[in-house]
Amino acid sequence: MTPTPDTRHLTPDEVELWAEGLLPAARDAHLAQCDACRATAGGERKLFRDLAQLTRFAPEFGFVERVMAKVKIPTPSGPHFRSHSDS
Amino acid sequence: MLEVAKVVEVRGEDAIGAKDRPGHLTGASDQDVVEWAKRGHEAAFRELVRRYERPVFSLLYRMVRDRGLAEDLAQETFIKVLNGLGSYNPQFRFSSWIFKIANNAAIDQLRKRELDTLSLDGSPHATTPEAMRATALQLGDKRETPLQELEARELGGAIERAIARLRPEYRSCILLRHVEGHSYEEIARILELPLGTVKTYIHRARNELRGYLADRKE
Repeated sequence: MTPTPDTRHLTPDEVELWAEGLLPAARDAHLAQCDACRATAGGERKLFRDLAQLTRFAPEFGFVERVMAKVKIPTPSGPHFRSHSDS
Repeated sequence: MLEVAKVVEVRGEDAIGAKDRPGHLTGASDQDVVEWAKRGHEAAFRELVRRYERPVFSLLYRMVRDRGLAEDLAQETFIKVLNGLGSYNPQFRFSSWIFKIANNAAIDQLRKRELDTLSLDGSPHATTPEAMRATALQLGDKRETPLQELEARELGGAIERAIARLRPEYRSCILLRHVEGHSYEEIARILELPLGTVKTYIHRARNELRGYLADRKE
């Protein structure tokens, strides 16, 4: 017996799964046959790519030093001050 | 005893484990670096700042759209996080904790300064074209300072302008999901929102972004 084709349109979650290559095969089959879902999914994938390619901006030079000047560092302790017998 | 300690420091791998040593911080997990910082190793503090300065600054910059302000907020965030490592719960990702503090700082600032969705295209509360023009940010203004010029270059692209038009809570969600790659569950924890609300915000934000980007093409 031939299985009934899945005619439900993809949900937003499923579109995201598809863009990540994680959509189950049964739903993938629906996508292959549905122009509306393909158009939606294509638009979403383009948006995901645009967002993922956004620049990682850097703060001004010397940021680490400016932060470190205001951080209270506890007195050093820990394994590398222990003897072998302590480990 | 001093001699033994010195030997352990030099030949430390057996006693300490490679991942525990400051020299190996680059490949260590955030949790391990935090442990080192708690033990008082300055290199570990620096490593945490280096790992997160760009992601945290980028989130804040896109939230407040002002370089100087974003840098101040990023500094505040790191100082708060690094001076409060004792209260960090290692059950959760370190990145979730730092983004939570950064996002709260941005939201507080937006509330204070009413920068929220004031975009390049004018306030969303403006009801007439004149009001839109009056409230729009003039990034192409010839009198702008070098810093403003830099901001215009960095945030002037179509996708950046579309992000700027989102409500702050939508903006946080979309940046954490699609730029930083956090799961819905992590975003819910970072923003202290129900999971369903996060999903709704992200879906609405994506619809709005697609709409804004389509408007610009027409």
